[in-house]
Amino acid sequence: MAVKIEKTFQVNEPVEKVWVFLSDPRKVGTCVPGAQITEQVDERTYKGAIKVKVGPSVTDYKGEVQIVRLDEQAHEIEILGKGQDVKGKGSASMKMTGKLRAVDGGTEVVSVSELNVIGILAQMGSRVINEVSNIMFEQFTKNFRQQLQNAETGGSETAAAPKPISAVGVAFSALKAAVTGHSGRAEAKPGPEGAKDSGTS
Amino acid sequence: MQKTSAEIGGMGHPIKRKEDGRFIQGKGNYVDDVNLPGMVYGHMVRSPYAHARLKSINTEAAKKLPGVLAIITGEDLAKANLAWMPTLSYDKQMVLATGKVLFQAQEVAFVVAEDRYTAADAAELVEVEYEELPVLVDPHKAMDADAPLLREDRTEKNNKIFHWEVGDKAATDKAFKEAAVVSKVYALSPRCHPAPLETCGCVADFNKATEKLTVWLTSQAPHAHRTVFALVGGIPEQNIRVISPDIGGGFGNKVPVYPGYVCAVVASLTLGVPVKWIETRSENLQSTGFARDYHMTAEVAADKDGKVKAMRVKTLADHGAFNAAAQPTKFPAGLFSICTGSYEFPQAFCEVDGVYTNKAPGGIAYRCSFRVTEAAYLIERVMDVLADDLKMDPVELRQKNFIPAAKFPYQSPLGWTYDSGDYHAAMKLALDTVGYDALLKEQAEKRKKGELMGIGISSFTEIVGAGPAHSFDILGIKMFDSAEIRVHPTGKAICRMGTKSQGQGHETTYAQIVAQELGIPAKDVQVEEGDTDTAPYGLGTYASRSTPTSGAATAMAARKIREKAKKIAAFLLEASEEDLEWEPGKFSVKGAPGKSKTIQEIAFAAYTNIPPGLEAGLEAVNYYDPPNLTFPFGTYIAVVDIDKGTGEIKVRRFVAVDDCGNIINPMIVEGQIHGGLTEGFAIAFMQEITYDESGNVQGGTFMDYLVPTAVETPHWETGKTTTPSPHHPFGAKGVGESPNVGSPAAFVNAVVDALSHLGVKHIDMPITPWKVWNILKEKGLTG
Repeated sequence: MAVKIEKTFQVNEPVEKVWVFLSDPRKVGTCVPGAQITEQVDERTYKGAIKVKVGPSVTDYKGEVQIVRLDEQAHEIEILGKGQDVKGKGSASMKMTGKLRAVDGGTEVVSVSELNVIGILAQMGSRVINEVSNIMFEQFTKNFRQQLQNAETGGSETAAAPKPISAVGVAFSALKAAVTGHSGRAEAKPGPEGAKDSGTS
Repeated sequence: MQKTSAEIGGMGHPIKRKEDGRFIQGKGNYVDDVNLPGMVYGHMVRSPYAHARLKSINTEAAKKLPGVLAIITGEDLAKANLAWMPTLSYDKQMVLATGKVLFQAQEVAFVVAEDRYTAADAAELVEVEYEELPVLVDPHKAMDADAPLLREDRTEKNNKIFHWEVGDKAATDKAFKEAAVVSKVYALSPRCHPAPLETCGCVADFNKATEKLTVWLTSQAPHAHRTVFALVGGIPEQNIRVISPDIGGGFGNKVPVYPGYVCAVVASLTLGVPVKWIETRSENLQSTGFARDYHMTAEVAADKDGKVKAMRVKTLADHGAFNAAAQPTKFPAGLFSICTGSYEFPQAFCEVDGVYTNKAPGGIAYRCSFRVTEAAYLIERVMDVLADDLKMDPVELRQKNFIPAAKFPYQSPLGWTYDSGDYHAAMKLALDTVGYDALLKEQAEKRKKGELMGIGISSFTEIVGAGPAHSFDILGIKMFDSAEIRVHPTGKAICRMGTKSQGQGHETTYAQIVAQELGIPAKDVQVEEGDTDTAPYGLGTYASRSTPTSGAATAMAARKIREKAKKIAAFLLEASEEDLEWEPGKFSVKGAPGKSKTIQEIAFAAYTNIPPGLEAGLEAVNYYDPPNLTFPFGTYIAVVDIDKGTGEIKVRRFVAVDDCGNIINPMIVEGQIHGGLTEGFAIAFMQEITYDESGNVQGGTFMDYLVPTAVETPHWETGKTTTPSPHHPFGAKGVGESPNVGSPAAFVNAVVDALSHLGVKHIDMPITPWKVWNILKEKGLTG
């Protein structure tokens, strides 16, 4: 099932600094909940994995991430990721474009992701996938800011071993988000810098 | 028909259901309640892909999990020639996948473990490598030259299952050429699922010492399933005992044979211990018999006054990956050719193409007699389109074209002989009950104020009770059904049938038939079904066939008993048989008040004081071959109000007038109608199983596939007319499915009527608030 997710958020860092981070899949990869970049194949291709937990079942996608387009001038990047669950529970692919724009006091990050999921996760329906994506994205945003800050303060860039993101927990948050209009998670509360949803389809 | 006393409780008495005592106390005995010593549990590994090459299955890690006893794959079954099994429609189906998978949630491996949780955990550890193949989910594309070939096992290298047609094409085409008006609708009857309260499952117990296989099965047709097990498994039929215990709803979902049943049997044969397999809710929704998925085009030719001249129907039937529906052999599209409905069409032509897609297999009759719901929906929808085209009141158009009561038995242009009907009477009662004229006035006033209100009519005709042996069989087995009645010495009785109740109340209604025919109080008659070791052979319960077939057989067997009872009574009363007269419960000597023998006295004599020349005992069996099908009918009227701001549809009133011939138990009939209307409401407004372009099921949980609760369900107003079936032994027709067959069109017609002045001609089910809101938005009416 295909889901298109458009997200915009802001960080308090200059464009050039954010770009260095965004254009490096190894760095961005550490911000994606449950994800890991395991190997660089060539200049633009990386091997990676992401774990998503659904009830007792951990979907363990392994695959490749490829930078399809990198525009240093416009600060635009297009990434294609494809993976199959190692136990044959399904597959997922994602095309993501990220674009940076200097704004007052920092940088605006605009991302458009087209996610296609086949298998158990896809059966959860677009509402849940959308909400799961929202929550994953919120966590991603939080990690992204944290990592940028770490880079500034000279903190370690190496992230701890990735924990699988629990889609059951996420699904319940998603359900709650769907019925109450907010996910109830501290990091998901829209703050002044909170991720703002510019529409899903 | 002579009405019996309340004490006897024969036909027409609204006696309480005998089975409800145990159900409401939680004392029912369902398959999952069967627990045997040493029993182990199965769990299915299923495909996440809709179409993929199966490259390898690695079971090593799963086998190492403590408690795991066996893991069966398609390759294992292939060694025993069991990787494929026949379906009830002359197709074959994979039990466990070999080579490739053809739908999401297809069965790939069967894990057996000491407990259910270990089995499920081990299933997670089975590693399957797939190579994705192009997916076909749109049946319209199935016949394209470049469509991916799904069934590589067939000699035909295309995705076509069957082409079936009936009627006079040339005469129909000619009538269309000459017609003043032609109306047309394309209507989808979307893929939905019966979603019975109890999912499917079984307990298979092979006893190595006796070589007997006992299978407790969620089966609507236990005898037919036993025969399939015997034919497929090569086990002598006398060594197979299929038991359908209490069944928590079937609605067609429990007619096919499922891979889980076969795997549990194979596992029990292999391990020598009982094996239980019970589906989860999602497995039930995603892999077992779905319904509908009929993509239909109907055209009606009429003169300018609205008299219909001909009907032309072209339908695409999406049967999924395997044609696993249960259809009578001669009717691959079931009884869809009832699509001329209640109207006198001089000509008609109907064609159906069945195709394969990468979806779960099936095409079962969900609470309908083999595709009758689709047919009734189509004709009732296109009649409304014709009325709209002619600017004629849909009631007037229907009344003008009804088959008149005087013309029954009526020969339809598509080959059916309708047994009896009085469509005008049912329509009139429905109109009077709902207050049609006042509603029309109200609607006109509301339209002036910009408010949306609709009235929907459905005057359906059903065709049930399959069926006469000359035309009806499943896998060659004729569609008779049976009853066996044994009267005990104390005048109580046990009777057994070839059918199987799934909640219809057979234990009560069959007892009432015996009560009516023999005068033995219904409370003294024990009804037993579902055990193939004890019950006479029959084709089971679906297609509203129990009353027309086994109900008839019960009456016929009871009448045989009454004939013998008469001989015994004559002996006891020292009178000649000709001098005896019968009233329910006793034989009396004509003109000799007080000289009589009750059926209880006669029964005692059958074991204690047997007349010379007569056999002892008092029992009879009947295998009833119905001479024709029965044709229940009715008129349903829905009144809806639509909220312009939200698109929400409120069913303000729903009047259902049913005619199912003579009624056995009016309370049970009303209950059946309430249940069927609620399901029809769900189909019209809430339910659809969709697939995305990758073949992912989008309605595989109750979060996405909605079931109405008391909160959503409208208030039902029921009424009846009575037109007995002339060929049925007690004039009954069957009712379980009428409300599901007749109501979707009434709901849809009502919503379309509310929007017809805006140019809306048709909306496909399910009509959700979202769909309506989008239409209103398009028309600039959302405000």
